Amino acid sequence: MALRELPRRVGPTLANDARLIARPLGTTQYRNASSQTRTTPEVFEDLERSSLASPGPSEDIVKSFDPVGRSRQRQGKLPPSRYQFRPPKYYRGPLHPHQPPPQSSPESRLFVPGPFSLPRLEQHYHNTIAPDLLTLAYSHLPPGFVPPPKAPRLRTWDDSSPYHKNRPARGPRGGDVLRLLKRPTNFHNITKLEKVTIHTMVKGAMEDSAHLHVAGMVVQAITSIRATSCKAKESVAGFGLRGGKYTSVKAEIVGESMYHFLSRLVDVVLPRIKDWKGAKGSSGDSSGNISFGLTPEAVGLFPEVEVNYDMSVAPRSRIKQTC
Amino acid sequence: MPVPWQLSVSRILAKADTIIASTPTKQLDEMNVGQSSARSLALLICWSARETTVCKSCLRRQYSISAAVESTSAISMSHAPPVVQAPSPQLAFRIRAGVVLSRPPQITRNQTPFEKAFFFYQRRLNERLVLPFSRYFYFKAGTPADLEWKRKQAERSTPAKDIGVYNAYGEMAWDDELLVDAKESEPETQVDCLLKDAEAPGVGSDEMGGLRKEVVERPMPRVTEADRKGDQRSLDRRLDRTLYLLVKGSEGRWGFPASALIGRENLHEAAERILIQSGGVNMNTWVVGNVPIGHYHFDYPNPLPIKDGVRESGEKTFFMKARIMAGQADLKKNELGLVDFKWLAKEEIEKAVGPRYWKSLKSMLAEQ
Repeated sequence: MALRELPRRVGPTLANDARLIARPLGTTQYRNASSQTRTTPEVFEDLERSSLASPGPSEDIVKSFDPVGRSRQRQGKLPPSRYQFRPPKYYRGPLHPHQPPPQSSPESRLFVPGPFSLPRLEQHYHNTIAPDLLTLAYSHLPPGFVPPPKAPRLRTWDDSSPYHKNRPARGPRGGDVLRLLKRPTNFHNITKLEKVTIHTMVKGAMEDSAHLHVAGMVVQAITSIRATSCKAKESVAGFGLRGGKYTSVKAEIVGESMYHFLSRLVDVVLPRIKDWKGAKGSSGDSSGNISFGLTPEAVGLFPEVEVNYDMSVAPRSRIKQTC
Repeated sequence: MPVPWQLSVSRILAKADTIIASTPTKQLDEMNVGQSSARSLALLICWSARETTVCKSCLRRQYSISAAVESTSAISMSHAPPVVQAPSPQLAFRIRAGVVLSRPPQITRNQTPFEKAFFFYQRRLNERLVLPFSRYFYFKAGTPADLEWKRKQAERSTPAKDIGVYNAYGEMAWDDELLVDAKESEPETQVDCLLKDAEAPGVGSDEMGGLRKEVVERPMPRVTEADRKGDQRSLDRRLDRTLYLLVKGSEGRWGFPASALIGRENLHEAAERILIQSGGVNMNTWVVGNVPIGHYHFDYPNPLPIKDGVRESGEKTFFMKARIMAGQADLKKNELGLVDFKWLAKEEIEKAVGPRYWKSLKSMLAEQ
């Protein structure tokens, strides 16, 4: 029945829409995305006005507004239900009356505050690096250009020998691993930083887990998130590793804290490393991942860690300053 | 099946053969050109077609080459001035290269009032939600650093240095919002707080017995001397914006430095040449990529007189992107007849250039 009623319901809806679309078509045949749009289209005039655009409170209200004084003058306490809300600890299904708030709400148990700043490195990426990468990666295809058909990624045998029958296809030339497929770069898939993973393996943790706690605190200090510990997958007798034992700590940072971490690394730590030869050119998998290591001395150059080093050797550093 | 390029070359060869066949043998002897050199002649014609007026990609099309051959053959084949002109001169555009030389932003942009309020709110919220600062982990009890920490903690009631006086664990923790005209959310105030925290006199004394005060360097101001003077030639102005080099030609028009292509050079080479010819060698620049980022098309009011069988009806300027790393433009020895230069942000360029020029270049300039 519902399907039968569909044309009857769709008809007036389309008629309403057609009235809106007809007007712009009448004035201009086409419109470029970059050309000037009208300041306030009529269709948006019915929308609710934002409170940000409205003028602020009057002078009298500003002067008399004293929330702390008013709460001190209050005789009795407000009932807790007025100012305390505890989200449910467990999700009991969509029909339960006590639903958890969304994760973006500060009342949620899953809420993570932030962002706290506009990182300089992120702005540099958006202003300078991304447009240049787009220019560098642009390849011009004339209108009407049809790319030649590509050969299959896995090569087939040419059947020159009877032994070729039923053989599986061959891998690409130069190696057995199929390389990643690459899309042509355009404005919405420019190369960008997604995630930084800091990982450290602590050999001493096999005997004494206290080493792991120290490493965890160091990683937490330089990344500003809680580090997670990882187990060894397999036993390696040569390294003294035993499978299933916690041997390393790891932290993955994204977004704002990732940019702050990288700027500290690039601007503060790396320039201060003596005789640093740079990250190895062959490191990484040429598909977007790159990794390099830092010595314990280099990690000590992070400002957050250095503060603690300074404390333990305070007398010496003070002498240095007076000289 | 031959590719178009081979096809056009074979057509040129056929054309050259017919030209040679139709030329009197006496004249051919004078020119010392034999039948065997038809191929080299065709190549010569090919290269002569690669004048500044036709770009390389256009050359690959058959019709332009055949037209060029038709027009140049009369000139190259006879000593005397041509008796019969090419029947219809080819209409062409002058190809020019322009350079959009830019200095990227040096400092972060100014925060909007909303961003200031939001970030400050999130910071205080963070203080309320994180676990309390574990002083005993970081400071040994009774050490000077511990005393210093206690003093600062008593001053601001919170471990965070730049969120003002706020106790996230006290009775009034709910009072985390700022009143009208409060200065705590301003970045300048926060910088002052951080400096004050770093500069505060230490409790430990040096050998002389006096208080040790660390000298902390203040960050440089965001507004520079050039901003205050309105010096538009300085590269130190508008540090939070992308600045573009605009030059004033001899006819008094502002625009990006540009020049016609010379010989067989490509756009990238032309851009590097233009940078040196206009701004001098005292600029450390990098031309980004080999492809233009935009173009400007201008039709002459009256087409130019026919030259080499080609009538130029307009010009097309292709803009290459370049970055300046160091140095400054110097027009003293420029070879493009430039009079003046400026470093301008996007909205200043709009006022300096003409509306048609602005329309073709506005989408290749960065907003910030």
